[in-house]
Amino acid sequence: MHKEKIDSSKHEDFVSLYIRHEPAVFSFVMSMVGRSADAEDVVQRASMTMWRCFDRYKPGTNFRNWAFQVAKNEALNFLTRAKRDRHVFSEKLIELLAQDTFENSDKLEARRRALDLCVKKLPPEDNDIVSGCYAEGATVRSYAKIKGGSANKFYKKLNRIRGKLQQCIERQLGLEDFAA
Amino acid sequence: MKDQELQNQIDCFLNETISDTGAKALEERLIDDVEARTHYLNEVGLHASLNRTFSVQKGTVVLPFERSFDPKVIYSLAACLVLFLGFCTYWFFSPPVARITHVVGAYNGNGIAYEEGESINQGGISLSRGLLRLDFSNGARVTLEGPADLEIHDVSRIMLNAGILTANIPESAIGFTVDTEAAHVVDLGTSFGVSVGFEGLTEVCVFDGEVEVSPVGEYGSGNLTQLVREGEAISATINSSIIDSVSFETSQFENAWPVNYGVLQTTGSMRFVSPGPDFHPGNYKDNDHIVVFPEKRGFIAEESIRVDMIDPGEYQKSHYDEKPTLVPRRAMTSYLLQMDAYPEGKNPNRRRGAVGQITFARPIVGVVTEDRLLKESEIVFGIPGVEYPSARTIEPRPEGDKREGFDKLILTADRHSLILELRENPGHLDQVRVLVEAQ
Repeated sequence: MHKEKIDSSKHEDFVSLYIRHEPAVFSFVMSMVGRSADAEDVVQRASMTMWRCFDRYKPGTNFRNWAFQVAKNEALNFLTRAKRDRHVFSEKLIELLAQDTFENSDKLEARRRALDLCVKKLPPEDNDIVSGCYAEGATVRSYAKIKGGSANKFYKKLNRIRGKLQQCIERQLGLEDFAA
Repeated sequence: MKDQELQNQIDCFLNETISDTGAKALEERLIDDVEARTHYLNEVGLHASLNRTFSVQKGTVVLPFERSFDPKVIYSLAACLVLFLGFCTYWFFSPPVARITHVVGAYNGNGIAYEEGESINQGGISLSRGLLRLDFSNGARVTLEGPADLEIHDVSRIMLNAGILTANIPESAIGFTVDTEAAHVVDLGTSFGVSVGFEGLTEVCVFDGEVEVSPVGEYGSGNLTQLVREGEAISATINSSIIDSVSFETSQFENAWPVNYGVLQTTGSMRFVSPGPDFHPGNYKDNDHIVVFPEKRGFIAEESIRVDMIDPGEYQKSHYDEKPTLVPRRAMTSYLLQMDAYPEGKNPNRRRGAVGQITFARPIVGVVTEDRLLKESEIVFGIPGVEYPSARTIEPRPEGDKREGFDKLILTADRHSLILELRENPGHLDQVRVLVEAQ
């Protein structure tokens, strides 16, 4: 009974920490591996490793940085396999991206929060495109096929919408000057 | 705003349309330029957040992780995650039920290739094509040939819904059970093949030892259990209590069976025959094939073994004293390749020929062809109690000789394959013993 209580409390601690930091981990993994399906796979593996090694995490220390470290190792494992088929980022760049992400994770977190507001302000047409292209299992190509238009046209629209959202984030955070 | 070239590269990267050249250029830029990296991380952050915000698939519980900031969603997902983690705890702390040890062009139903070393736990395996060998933690070895559908219930019970499998069951796994819709097949320490075809028609062929077969469902009473012995075969159908004895026909298992023994492929006239009663080199004659006999497996010899060939290339004769030696205490698995021609047909003394290739899962460490060395290595690697035929000669073409009719033996550069071209007068015998690194 006592052990069950400990396990249950351990689950809750992990769930709470993991849920809070998963978006940051996903974003970090995406910056290393590029493709969203690959990033999902790496994050899934990383989450399992985190749970398996959760005993080694010291409560009160920075869970996010610990999670980043685990995710980085999983990403490197993945990239070693993937480089047989395509060009992938080198370990040197992965180290630099990891260092920058560790150092700027608070700023990146603030940008994520600002994005929530910016998405709500998107005009309906842009919102349709973003939600259609980023829907589970969808691709820009599949969305373009449904809507009747070239994939290229929708890639350009998506690039433009992301640009607008970046500007909105900068405005929200009072960073317009830096973006200019 | 960053420069347009960088922005284009990042957009292509996020849209997953970037070329290898583009990815290399982006990489160089990101390594050299800290501001470019900051911009890149901001762009990826936005892209990842959009992905998380819009890719929630409603009604699924497979997501263990948050995809929204809505507290209700977080709460329900957290509950799912707790369940998921409960599963993970079990999954992580239990050894895998089986592991994939050999793969020959094996793909699942979604066209994704299986990989060697993958752990397999309870659940289904859908094999659209190819061959897959599973080594269970209790020592059972099962090779599945696609298209096939297999369910793993636990370490000693599997269900074959469709396809072909062959199994080697050591003493440690006696009782291993293969269920089909038509039959329960319980191993009693043996090697056997099971196939499930149209409308669940099940065939069981016992190569060695014996198995118990009983019908399923309402017919599955103990009285109807049949003992099937080495060299026997049965068939069973759904909704029938009758288990028919059928002729011992092993050809349908000839792709899967070799993989149980570490042979990935045989082509041309090379044939890894599914064994039957008293199957050994001394009593098997074949005018059209080079036949492969598995010998000792994973055997560690205490003495050094002299062989004819260890390096890739074509075999040439050499003096006994020049033969290379394999060091002792090295685990090896041995196979005997044989062509034993006999007089038959209108022209009984016609010279026979066979060309074929055999590919092993593990590297070849030595090849033995000359009679004296075959006899020496037979003492170590031969099957105990089997009388091996003798007077065995491989005649490679002497250097500079242009005449026809010589044998050829080539060890490929990757050391996994052996190519044989044999010419044989009836009544004569060619043999090659191949020693392969044990797993």
